[in-house]
Amino acid sequence: MAENKMEKQLYESLNQSQQSLDDFAFAPYSEKEAERTGFSYYSYWGSTIRVFLKNRLATGLLILLVLLVLFTIIQPHLPNQFRATEVINHPITGLQMYNIGPSFSNVMYTVPENTQLVVTPYENDTWAAVSNILTSLKARTTFTIIEYEKNWVKVELDDGQHGYVLNNFTTKLRLPEDPNQVPYESRSNFPVKMYTFPEDYTNQGTELFVLKDQLNITPDGLSATTKTEAKLRLLPGDAPFLFGTNNAGQDMWSMVWSGTRTSLYIGFMVAMLEAIIGIFIGVLWGYVRRLDRLLTEIYNVINNIPTTIVLIMFTYIMRPGIQTLIFSMTITGWVSMARFVRNQIVIIRDRDYNLASRCLGSSTFRIITRNLLPYLVSVIMLRMALAIPGAIGSEVFITYIGLGLPVSIPSLGNLINVGRKLVTTSYAYQLIFPTIILSIVTISFYIIGNAFADAADPRNHV
Amino acid sequence: MLKYVGKRLLAALVTLFIILTTVFVLMRQMPIEGYFDNIDKADQGVIDAKLHQLGLKDPMHIQLLNFYKNILKGDLGVSNRYRTGAPIIDIIAGKAPISIQMGLISMALSLLLGIPLGAKMARSKYKFWDKIGTGFIVFINAVPAAVYYIYIQSYGSSMLKISMLFDPSKFLNWVLPVFSMSLGSIAYYAMWLRRYMVDELNKDYVQLAKAKGVTSQDITMAHVFRNAFVPMIQYIPSSLLFTISGSIYVESLYSIPGMGGLLVDVITRQDNTMVQALVMIYASIGIIGMLLGDLLMALIDPRISFAKKEGVR
Repeated sequence: MAENKMEKQLYESLNQSQQSLDDFAFAPYSEKEAERTGFSYYSYWGSTIRVFLKNRLATGLLILLVLLVLFTIIQPHLPNQFRATEVINHPITGLQMYNIGPSFSNVMYTVPENTQLVVTPYENDTWAAVSNILTSLKARTTFTIIEYEKNWVKVELDDGQHGYVLNNFTTKLRLPEDPNQVPYESRSNFPVKMYTFPEDYTNQGTELFVLKDQLNITPDGLSATTKTEAKLRLLPGDAPFLFGTNNAGQDMWSMVWSGTRTSLYIGFMVAMLEAIIGIFIGVLWGYVRRLDRLLTEIYNVINNIPTTIVLIMFTYIMRPGIQTLIFSMTITGWVSMARFVRNQIVIIRDRDYNLASRCLGSSTFRIITRNLLPYLVSVIMLRMALAIPGAIGSEVFITYIGLGLPVSIPSLGNLINVGRKLVTTSYAYQLIFPTIILSIVTISFYIIGNAFADAADPRNHV
Repeated sequence: MLKYVGKRLLAALVTLFIILTTVFVLMRQMPIEGYFDNIDKADQGVIDAKLHQLGLKDPMHIQLLNFYKNILKGDLGVSNRYRTGAPIIDIIAGKAPISIQMGLISMALSLLLGIPLGAKMARSKYKFWDKIGTGFIVFINAVPAAVYYIYIQSYGSSMLKISMLFDPSKFLNWVLPVFSMSLGSIAYYAMWLRRYMVDELNKDYVQLAKAKGVTSQDITMAHVFRNAFVPMIQYIPSSLLFTISGSIYVESLYSIPGMGGLLVDVITRQDNTMVQALVMIYASIGIIGMLLGDLLMALIDPRISFAKKEGVR
């Protein structure tokens, strides 16, 4: 019974399929449809980018590098920036604002309400120059100490004026045997300053700046009290010295970015020129058989000259400047690029697809630009990515031996070169900031270059 | 083999001739102010006399001829400006030994440290030691040598309680300069050995050896390392010979009286005879180093042969 049922089912399904087979019809021949076989969604550059993006570190560094390059370009146009080589002077004394440490704002002190300050005349509508220095005493002026307070002493002058004088190794006051004896007639061998209260609200003796709105200035315009809590700033305006200033009073922040711009420009230019010359000569060398012998001999000569000699010679003979550096680095760098391209071309030159292409009558130019060079794009880009930090490093080296850019053109090389003399002092920030930027640029190019080389290798494409 | 070496040496002579002539001509293009400390105060007679004495008044080809005549006699001449009147041979003989000693020690150190590091990194690819080593290599490549040398000098000398300046008689004073000089090449050797070894490890013969049951220790030492070291051995003779040129950074930092800044010094002071002598020495070293490197490579790797003409494929 069960068998019968199965048989029945079988027959039914056979009948059905017979019926459905009848529904089919032969497809007409369509050239377009026939071509569809063998189609793949694989695209070389798409896969390269996909593999590259999988490398998180390299992607992150690429973004960082792009932002950094963009920032070096827009930095001079941002508000509150100093010009790169501008020497910043104190508006009243005209002294250079040198060796000011890095900080996020130019506020030196925040003073509470009702602070007594001394105003120095200064023509400005919104800013007032203030300090708390009552008078400056000449060297060997005598005064009477009437109170001791940590490293300050309260003194009285002969004319009855009261004030405070700093009491430490910088003032070297004459002090009594008994440390608490008052009154005591004292003097200093140095010129000293007398302050209104035991606190130094100056920048090494020069005036600070505060908004006029925050002050109650007395009618004679010589003293003032603060209306509210007030910020005493290094300069009128609120542009900070983010990276401090150097010993010439130049803003390190704009110097570093201007230097980065110069160094990156040198790096990009050298890499570009090396690539252009290197590819042109490398292709000729690799593809044109008759030139192989000659170019190999020339290569042997050039390659045997130590690069340092050439670099030093050219930078010394020509006038120091960006063009000189680019020229001398290109002169020494294109050789290895040409050799590299030549080797690659020799490897792929006689592959079957090129042979076929030649048989079909492609011109040499077409074979080179369409068949050979696209094959080399990834390796050439890797070489260029590594040439940029190389050029920046050479620039540091040339500056070190004293043949680099003049100090009037900031570059990472001469910033580091100036900074390295300060390494053991408290001004080491003048070395550290340019070094950090240089390291970020170099590391990024190395890692991005290598990640890109991996990504461009079709064996890594899935 | 001998024929090959002969050919290479002949080509080397031609190369040397081209280099020397170029440098000779370039140096003669320099402004004459460079030959005097104070040209404004000297009168024309004195200037002419000095230029005549330096042989700069002769036509270029005569100067060149005299130069080559002297070289063939084995006479490098005397220094004009760097140490006026002193024979160049003496100056170099006084400076070279310390640079060579220091260079050899640091090279030995960097080979001893760099190669095990590179091998270790390749064997533990993407694991702990590889990451540590990569970090070190990236650091050394990224931070300019001029910067980390100073930190090594200032912190190292206060840690070892020695003076910052070099004194060849004290052992401790050798530590910091040698260490600074090796750091770069340790990173260099480790980086390339790792890359070559990783390349080798991916090859089919390693799979076969594994399938045969060879231990990974044996594979690394007997097969992978030997193959990976071949492309590196090419540069060893050059590095050995170039220890004579010293290190500009290290020698100026520690005031070591070596060859380091000599070339830069004599170029900027336009001491023509010294520049020519030094360029000749360095260029010959470069050429000989490369030749020795090629020969050494052929000696170690039997697959490389110079007898067969390297033709166009």
